[in-house]
Amino acid sequence: MSFIQSKRLLWIAAALVVSVAATPSHAQSRAETLRYITGASVNTLDPNIPGSTREAFAVSLSTYDRLVSFGRKQLNGKWVFDLDTITGELAESYDISPDGLKITLRLRKDAKFQDGTPVTADDVKWSLDRAVTAPVLGKAQLLTGSLTSADQFKVIDPLTIEITLPKPDKLALPNLATVYPIIINSKVAKANATAEDPWATAWLKEHTAGSGAYVIETFKPGEQVIMKRNEAWNRGTTDKAAFFKRVIIQSVPEPSTRANLVERGDADIVVDLQASDVQALEAKGTLRVISTPQYNSVTFVSMNNRIPPFDNVNVRRAIAYALPYDAMFKAALFGRGAPLFGATWADGKPPSGAYPIPQPVKLDLDKAREYLKAAGLPEGFSTTFSFNVGQASTAEPMAALVKESLDKIGIKVDIQKLPDAQMSTQINEKKLPFFTEGIVAWLPSTDYFYRNFYTGNQRWNYSSIDNAELTAVAQEARFESDKAKYEEDGKKLNAIHFSEMPQVMLWQPAQDAVMASSIQGYTYQFHRQVDYRDLSRK
Amino acid sequence: MAFGATIIRAGRRLLSSLPALFGVLVFTFLLMRVLPGDPAVFFASGPNAGKEEIELIRKQMGLDKPIPNQLLLYLSDVGRGNLGRSMMTGQQVTKDLRERLPASLELTLSALLIALISAVPLGVVAALKPGSIIDHGVRLFCSLGVCVPTFVSGLLLIYVFYYLLGLAPDPTGRVDIFASLPPSKTGFLLIDFLLVGDFEGWWAAFRQLILPAISMALFVIAPLARITRASMLVSLGSDFVRTARSVGLSRWSTVVTYALRNAILPVITIAGIVFSTMLGANVLVEKVFSWPGVASYALDALLASDYAPVQGFVLLMASVFVIVNLVVDVLYGIADPRVTIT
Repeated sequence: MSFIQSKRLLWIAAALVVSVAATPSHAQSRAETLRYITGASVNTLDPNIPGSTREAFAVSLSTYDRLVSFGRKQLNGKWVFDLDTITGELAESYDISPDGLKITLRLRKDAKFQDGTPVTADDVKWSLDRAVTAPVLGKAQLLTGSLTSADQFKVIDPLTIEITLPKPDKLALPNLATVYPIIINSKVAKANATAEDPWATAWLKEHTAGSGAYVIETFKPGEQVIMKRNEAWNRGTTDKAAFFKRVIIQSVPEPSTRANLVERGDADIVVDLQASDVQALEAKGTLRVISTPQYNSVTFVSMNNRIPPFDNVNVRRAIAYALPYDAMFKAALFGRGAPLFGATWADGKPPSGAYPIPQPVKLDLDKAREYLKAAGLPEGFSTTFSFNVGQASTAEPMAALVKESLDKIGIKVDIQKLPDAQMSTQINEKKLPFFTEGIVAWLPSTDYFYRNFYTGNQRWNYSSIDNAELTAVAQEARFESDKAKYEEDGKKLNAIHFSEMPQVMLWQPAQDAVMASSIQGYTYQFHRQVDYRDLSRK
Repeated sequence: MAFGATIIRAGRRLLSSLPALFGVLVFTFLLMRVLPGDPAVFFASGPNAGKEEIELIRKQMGLDKPIPNQLLLYLSDVGRGNLGRSMMTGQQVTKDLRERLPASLELTLSALLIALISAVPLGVVAALKPGSIIDHGVRLFCSLGVCVPTFVSGLLLIYVFYYLLGLAPDPTGRVDIFASLPPSKTGFLLIDFLLVGDFEGWWAAFRQLILPAISMALFVIAPLARITRASMLVSLGSDFVRTARSVGLSRWSTVVTYALRNAILPVITIAGIVFSTMLGANVLVEKVFSWPGVASYALDALLASDYAPVQGFVLLMASVFVIVNLVVDVLYGIADPRVTIT
């Protein structure tokens, strides 16, 4: 071929060789820098802004403190967040009154905002008021912990704040540990508020005024965020500042590139690789792969309980026995996660009141045919099965298997791959008959799951189930303080779920954190992101 | 031809393209609203986001008003240079585009340059010996280039030069993530680094640019080389080349001065079209190399039904197309003084 072409290639090759010979000048800073790569992006510095991404949550957890945070515990040898241990973050200690109606929080005396001013109870009050009053996402979340009005927050003295509850609510305190009730430097925020925007939402979207472990150095929405350590922060697990001097959070949309980067040691940690890449990297054994089933999430096949023929419980049961669970689990997740099928319930009753628990269903086409006959549809029917493009890598092989298997009992399935926005619109309008989705709860208690995902007419009630008994038990369980009774309520709810089969639980996908072998301290967090403050380098 | 007259004519050409741009504006606006998918529902996707949040976002995006009102508001905003706010990045679309356009332009221009300096000689060589081994070789190379999609060649290049050989820098972004950026004057990193005399930085940016530019160039070498070849064949067979040969002019001067200069017009036309399409179509390359350009931005916005950025992007592309066409016409005048802009 052409001489010119080959000469040009030679020249490029030469240039590349020279460039390698020049040693990288940033070698020293690497050890003290954490480079986190992700397929998504950080789009706001205030987690409360509608549309904020999970990556944005992880950033705000590092730049802002909350009053309290979750402890951690071991689950099958891996660190996960612990809903039942609430430790102080800005609060040094807290008390709950015997009647459960008052929470008193005492602030640390040495806590300072990043501008050097002390954190006061006034700042806390302003921040909590904002979370329940301003048009922000925190409002809907805090509602689940009976925190709804600014009157509930009272400044007792500069270091003490009191929260009053209308009813004893065991989710009130855990709610303060979620990503939304960040404690903001109210003086700075007020200085940047306007008449139309008294809570400074516009300003805080692009600036931070917190007391957290990291300070924003550069913020390029959709590209990268670089944070540097707040040396004055001493609220780490060992009462020290965070380990890494700098943290780089970078968007790398191509999943195979993310895998390459972490394998070659250019990136330190990544949590959203494709299952196939994780498996390959794990097999090579040079990286640390921590695979935690996302125990606060569930993937399921949902059926709209109001659209025929899915309004017939026997049709739903038929589907539950016609899904090729094992094949789906292997094809979609390479078996990475915790299956929620194939259990045996002794005497047919749920063994536990936790949610979710493995269901006693498995592929059994004869049983499925029987249920179809009982539903009066022995010949089957036609329907569509939908999933969104964003989940195509796992949902596409799944959908093909669903189609193939249901075809055997006469149900003709038309696969619909919808753009994410279209899928969420149709779900919200309750128009999809049969689809796959996933749910996550930050505060994974049984009643919380059932209230949010199985009652009411809201969007998250994917199956549109309306069962009076289920609703009543879930509401009652919310304020049940007796542990044994709560467990009984949970069992009742699980039994209703199994007999009504509003949707079919499939599995809890694994969160695969792949990191350089030198990285330590990774903990699976409720927001399914990396808490940069947990990590250190050996 | 006077330089001033060219400027005036160019200005008139730009003015006459305004109605077309207006049409693009209105069409995109309506198209976005016809597409299924409610952006408010999509963006209210956080845990517990209910009806109230959806309404809030709808209001923020101005979707609570009837469509004719929305259109009028949008047009008056655009008239004042405001393209709206992106829900995805939370920034003004004009700001996003201003930051990202130079990245795309730098990549596309480099790719086009690589494509031209490889394609034109290839086409010329092929045309000089039609039907020979060289001609077939060029054809094979072009076919390979055009039939391998850009993301495949991109991933292959990354695999070989970054993953296997470790020669290329990590394929993310425009410059090494640990390097410091020059003050942004033009937005073109290669120029900005030169302006502050930071050659190390320039080299880093240049290394980062090579792989994506090559994978884009590979894809467009084919049309450019084929056009050069065809046009050169015509030119080489024409009377004036035969005359030039017969009066004993050197081979170089015959081929380059007489034949190529006459053959280059269609190449310029195609190069213009190729450039405009590359700018919009390089989304895959931008994705593969995490390049912060406009095309990947527009694709993300489209998937999220984020109206403002998509509308802004289409308007930008239309404007670029108008400008590129104008530049092509001006280049025509330089290549062949008989051609004037009308």
